[in-house]
Amino acid sequence: MSGNSVPARFNVGDRVRVRDLPNLFYTRTQMYVRGATGVVAERTYEDLIPEDEAWNRDGAPREQFYIVRFRQKDLWSGYPFETDTLQTELPDRWLEPAGG
Amino acid sequence: MPTKEALDGYYAVGARLGPIKHEQNDWPYEITRAEFAAYMVPPHDVGGQPDAPVRYEEKQEELWELNTYVTCEVLGWRGIWNSEERRRLGNNDLGATLYYGFPYYGRWIWAAARMLIDKNHITLIELLEKVAEVKARQQKGAA
Repeated sequence: MSGNSVPARFNVGDRVRVRDLPNLFYTRTQMYVRGATGVVAERTYEDLIPEDEAWNRDGAPREQFYIVRFRQKDLWSGYPFETDTLQTELPDRWLEPAGG
Repeated sequence: MPTKEALDGYYAVGARLGPIKHEQNDWPYEITRAEFAAYMVPPHDVGGQPDAPVRYEEKQEELWELNTYVTCEVLGWRGIWNSEERRRLGNNDLGATLYYGFPYYGRWIWAAARMLIDKNHITLIELLEKVAEVKARQQKGAA
């Protein structure tokens, strides 16, 4: 449990967009949320990002994780219900401010 | 040594587990950007993909499944690997054919063996010799 932590950039209620980094070898950021805009529903904990933890890089900096809530109709073409949402958990660096 | 018929059988199973649309695609000199993007999607990122309904089944774990579970957990408690490495190896690094083709705990034990070799805890030839030894012992016991 060594390593520094990266300052958290987002708070509950912030609108965020998921970055579309390249696919190489491993990810926990689902394809269907790449580029989508959602709202931070909860700040959960600081942890290693999956890209480091998956290769056991225990000393790497820790980042804030967030539960981000998306509208289902923003994720799936032709999704029929207005109010349905989907939540998933993402680390700080996979998000960027979406404004609004 | 597998017979010619057994080998044909292995290849036939592999082909059956592949994508439904078959195209000749053996070491091409060039691929399109769209093909590259599709090939690079990690195999376990399956959310949103169409699939057949899953049949719900009441079933107890079998002994080999429990042994696999305990082996993998003990390797975790001893700090040999963590849960994210287990996901990377057992959901992703084994590739699409084994991801779809293996039973759930088959993927776990594949991952454990691969990790022990990757991290130099055992060598591949040690593992091959051990599996061959156990196989021979079991065949002798069955005879």
